[in-house]
Amino acid sequence: MSRTRRTLRWAAAASAVALTATGCNLVGSSEDDSGNDDASGENVTITVALVPDPPGASEFYRAQFDQFEEENPGITVEVVENPSDQQLNAVELMFQQGDPPDVFRAQADGFDRMYERGWTHSLEEFVTDEFIDRFPEGTMNPATSGLHRDGELYTLPLVTGKWDVRVLIYNEAVLRENGFDAPPETWGELEEMATTITQNGGGSVFGYAPTDGKAIAVEILAQTAAPSSVVSDGIDFRTGQPATASPGLVEAVELHRRMQANGAMVTGWESWDGARAFTEFAAGTIAMYPSAPWHVAEVRKLNPEIEMGIAPLPVPDDGRGGYTPMKQSFQPIWSMSAETENPEQSWAVMDFLASEDFHRAYYEEFGTLTAVESAWEDQAAENPDQSAILAAAEEGMRLVPNPILTGGGGAAILQARAQRPELKHTDAAVDAIINNKPFQPIAEALDAQIQAFLDGEVAAGTGTLDDITFPDWDPLENFTPEQ
Amino acid sequence: MASLHATARRPPAAGRPRAARLRRHAWSYVFLVPGILLFGGFSLWPLIASWWYAFFDWDGVGTPTDWIGLDNFREVLGSGAFWDAFWHSFAFSFAALVIELPLALVLAILLNNAWLRGRNVYRLALFLPVVTTTAVIGIVFAILLDPIRGVVNTALTDIGLADSPINFLGSTTSALPTLIGIDVWKGFGITLIYWLAALQTIPKDIHEAALIDGANSRQSLRFVVLPMLVPLAIVILLLVFQRSLNTFDLVQATTQGGPNYSTDVVPTYIYRFAFDPFLQAPRYGFACAAGAVFGLMTLLISLMQAPLLRGRYKAGAP
Repeated sequence: MSRTRRTLRWAAAASAVALTATGCNLVGSSEDDSGNDDASGENVTITVALVPDPPGASEFYRAQFDQFEEENPGITVEVVENPSDQQLNAVELMFQQGDPPDVFRAQADGFDRMYERGWTHSLEEFVTDEFIDRFPEGTMNPATSGLHRDGELYTLPLVTGKWDVRVLIYNEAVLRENGFDAPPETWGELEEMATTITQNGGGSVFGYAPTDGKAIAVEILAQTAAPSSVVSDGIDFRTGQPATASPGLVEAVELHRRMQANGAMVTGWESWDGARAFTEFAAGTIAMYPSAPWHVAEVRKLNPEIEMGIAPLPVPDDGRGGYTPMKQSFQPIWSMSAETENPEQSWAVMDFLASEDFHRAYYEEFGTLTAVESAWEDQAAENPDQSAILAAAEEGMRLVPNPILTGGGGAAILQARAQRPELKHTDAAVDAIINNKPFQPIAEALDAQIQAFLDGEVAAGTGTLDDITFPDWDPLENFTPEQ
Repeated sequence: MASLHATARRPPAAGRPRAARLRRHAWSYVFLVPGILLFGGFSLWPLIASWWYAFFDWDGVGTPTDWIGLDNFREVLGSGAFWDAFWHSFAFSFAALVIELPLALVLAILLNNAWLRGRNVYRLALFLPVVTTTAVIGIVFAILLDPIRGVVNTALTDIGLADSPINFLGSTTSALPTLIGIDVWKGFGITLIYWLAALQTIPKDIHEAALIDGANSRQSLRFVVLPMLVPLAIVILLLVFQRSLNTFDLVQATTQGGPNYSTDVVPTYIYRFAFDPFLQAPRYGFACAAGAVFGLMTLLISLMQAPLLRGRYKAGAP
């Protein structure tokens, strides 16, 4: 026994010596390893949490930050990468553990998730006229920029608001082989062309794909048929009432239900992820699908020779009832942590991320139309794909009311609605399409649930129906905040 | 006699002071500390904490403060989507019990035969899927079964067994059976190993005694091997049941619960509410309640098997 004890004591002593020698202990190093040597005027490390999206972004950001470090010798940029669908949770964990990034990417609604928790730093103190002038005139208006909250700038953009446009991507060669010399302009033409192409395709070429397993194409097309708030939230902002059963949205689902029942759509779309549509399109398997514009560059990367056309979305046979919404000038992307110990240096990094040089490099690398339009507008004018995207944005987008930007009860009600994804038409529409069920009664049932939800929120004092009602809004015209 | 010796060697515990006993075994307790800490920190604490969080409307950030009592549990129990996911999870377990378990036993009996040539190669081949990453298996099967250019559909249509490609993972009727089939194939190897280990606990001399008594192979299997396997079979059954009930990675890698939630299982259901980036804020409290209800249901189903299994155990125990 005594020998065992002696051996264990020797082992413990040896371990202690080894740990001391290597500078390790159980409560952390005694030296400040945070990289924050600002007080001594030495190097400062700024942590940037971002996502490696689109493909190749990891290398791109590192190269850009290397360049930034050369131009700013006192600042080192440390990149923390998270998968796109885990970014928000990962950043939240970093905040909770007391080790938040100095700058982080929180896109669209994800920004509000961070803002509501008080984790974002106002950027007002850093903004100069030169900074505002980088962006197109009027886009940095606090009421409509999408980057301001309570009148203060809190986040910076990466892409132009026009990038929210949705387009119809089509294979010119396939259309030509099937006797069509132009893309469809109406839903009726789309259905007819898709059916013909699939019938002629012999199981290897299909006329149409609903973009992904959630049939996001329904939402994209429905935006041409109904007010955008009906499509996004199931509520008509003109009346503040539930409207999932409005004719435009119902017909968008029915169009897809008919095409599914007739076998006009590509087989197996039900299990597609977001990347499958452009992969199959590049392979020549599908002739047409509604899409976000970033698919265009991905298709070109996969198949530079493909005869790809980009057209505005087809509209209902009885005419347009809405437009792809432009809810704000920009989508939020880059935010500064409210807990950063180095706001000046963090701003330097953010200023770089909003610089014309960075935006030009991003555009040239990924073909994305970035927020600083002067970085790409000349080149885009000469690029047929990008010109077509811009033309589609011009034709197919309109400013719409956005209660989130005004804050207050409207924002609170919509945020509560976002917590109830089952109230949105998406899952019910997929069910109707796959299982060939009429959508009208399903939509009416959803509206009853939305009404109950609204009644509950109003009763709970979350907001009033007036907060989500814009009686003067015409979905066929641009909305102005004064309305 | 043996028990008398044992009693004689062991001094009566009642007469020894507790402090002396603690001193005597001090090092044993010290060595237990890391295990207790790890178990407490990574098993017990999360279990208790998740139950506690289930009583809050909590998004996972900061300390939960919005106490809502049993509301999360009521919402879980009243959710059709939860029960759909539960039955899908149960379907995985049911298939494992009625297909994988007996099939693995049959193959284990064959592969336990010393006269079978190359039996180690067969064992290796059957065990390979177990050590292959499930996500990789999911992706490979999604490619193989794809209705466009998938090898399986190409073969089926070329041979003439199918007129048109089968939408294995994209159809609400075929997706769940397809995933269950992949799960059975993936888990088959480990169940086979369980059975082989169980078979090898049966002493050879019992086999030889049965042969001397004139039993043929079938009679030896029926009256010697199977009854002796029963106690271990119960353990294997519970292990297989638990493993298959918690299928997550295969579903997440192939269908993410689709199409139209037809392959949604409870773990993917919980994952969606806790981590879905499209939710304005995660619903950790609700996800914890779903996890707690699922844990209770699993326990209940396991306990329901107990009386039956206890009877079989007593009947089969040597």
